[in-house]
Amino acid sequence: MDADGYSAKMRMREDSKMPARSTPEIASSPGLEALMRRYQQADEEAARALIQAVSPRLLRYFCAQTFTRRFADDLLQDTWMRIHKARHTYRPVEPVLPWVFAIARHAVLDNYRKSRRVEIREVQVDELPHTAYQDAGAKKSEIDLDTLLAPLTRNQRDVVVMLKIAGMSIEEVARATRSSAGSVKQKAHRAYQKLRDILAPGKGTA
Amino acid sequence: MNSDDLDRILDNAGRTSPDATTQASIAHVESTVLSDLHPVRPLAPLWIYLSLFLVLFVVVSGAAGSILGLHGLHVLTISQFILISITLFAVASIASAACAREMTPIGSQLSAFSLIAAALAFPALFSLIFRGYGTTSFVSQGIPCLVAGLCVAIPAALLISFLLRRGFVMQWSMAGLAAGSLSGLTGLAMLELHCPNLKAIHVMVWHVAVVIVSGILGFAIGRLADHLRHSSI
Repeated sequence: MDADGYSAKMRMREDSKMPARSTPEIASSPGLEALMRRYQQADEEAARALIQAVSPRLLRYFCAQTFTRRFADDLLQDTWMRIHKARHTYRPVEPVLPWVFAIARHAVLDNYRKSRRVEIREVQVDELPHTAYQDAGAKKSEIDLDTLLAPLTRNQRDVVVMLKIAGMSIEEVARATRSSAGSVKQKAHRAYQKLRDILAPGKGTA
Repeated sequence: MNSDDLDRILDNAGRTSPDATTQASIAHVESTVLSDLHPVRPLAPLWIYLSLFLVLFVVVSGAAGSILGLHGLHVLTISQFILISITLFAVASIASAACAREMTPIGSQLSAFSLIAAALAFPALFSLIFRGYGTTSFVSQGIPCLVAGLCVAIPAALLISFLLRRGFVMQWSMAGLAAGSLSGLTGLAMLELHCPNLKAIHVMVWHVAVVIVSGILGFAIGRLADHLRHSSI
């Protein structure tokens, strides 16, 4: 598919207000708003269902940010603590996912800043010790995704993961990333262009 | 590899079912969240907070102008007063919308826009409706206006930040910029009611400076708050 074809595909998705990807998990998205409203009313079942529905998407988002699985788990905890503290700011008429991913995005940025501070102070060792956790956590699909998205910039990776892996629409991604729909489309287009250039036969890293 | 192949890889990554480690992490989240579950009242609709910020702008500027004396209001013509009021209200509405949106994690892109709009709209308006570009006593007359404007902006900023804390601000730098712009506009509105000096150069530089200085200070304080928050994480 060429660049125009991709743009047309994105336009079609936005015009029809459909999520970027259609899976059974994504098809249940409208129910998230109802679950969130009940979560605000301290409904335990709704809180549990919301956590079960949203957490896998958040984990995929964190894993795709080239974080290790352990960092992703820490970020998941941190993000849910923030969601819990900020749950009164969710307005019932709004979609849940942009609100959740805006919080997740800030958690990632804060974690990045923290790790930068730690990196400055820490003493480097020549070789990292091999741990059993690395064997258990390194699933093939994650490695593939990490490798695939590694060449992208942070913003491009955010957009691609939210659109394709979290299954959000362009409008939702725009809200979550404080940008316009046009900017999201442009970032997605450039990300795809970069990935296709890298993965083209003869240039491949995969 | 084409876009369809990429789509397939990404779709497969998205469909991966949660493994045991994932389930353990989610269970941990569940236990943490459920242990502190109590009802919360959702934030009031956006238009209510937007109106509250606008009311605050009108009340603080009107009260400060009345206390200091409405000397400026008496020397303005009706058309000048209407044009200044409309522009002030329009830019204050943008800044209020920015403040109201910054109360939620999603935020907005209006914060910087409100300061830029103020910095462009008011000099343009004042150059159209006022005359006089002489620089006699330019600084000696200007500094008291700047100080008075900022003195009104400070209590306005404190009240705005009190309202902002009702929400959950993720980026205090942007919220500070929006709050600083709105409180600066409050100071500017007070000066238009109070200051009888209608020289274009005076109004364009010293009155507008209240908004710009206030906005920049708000941004700097917000940035400091962000930095302190990140350091404590």
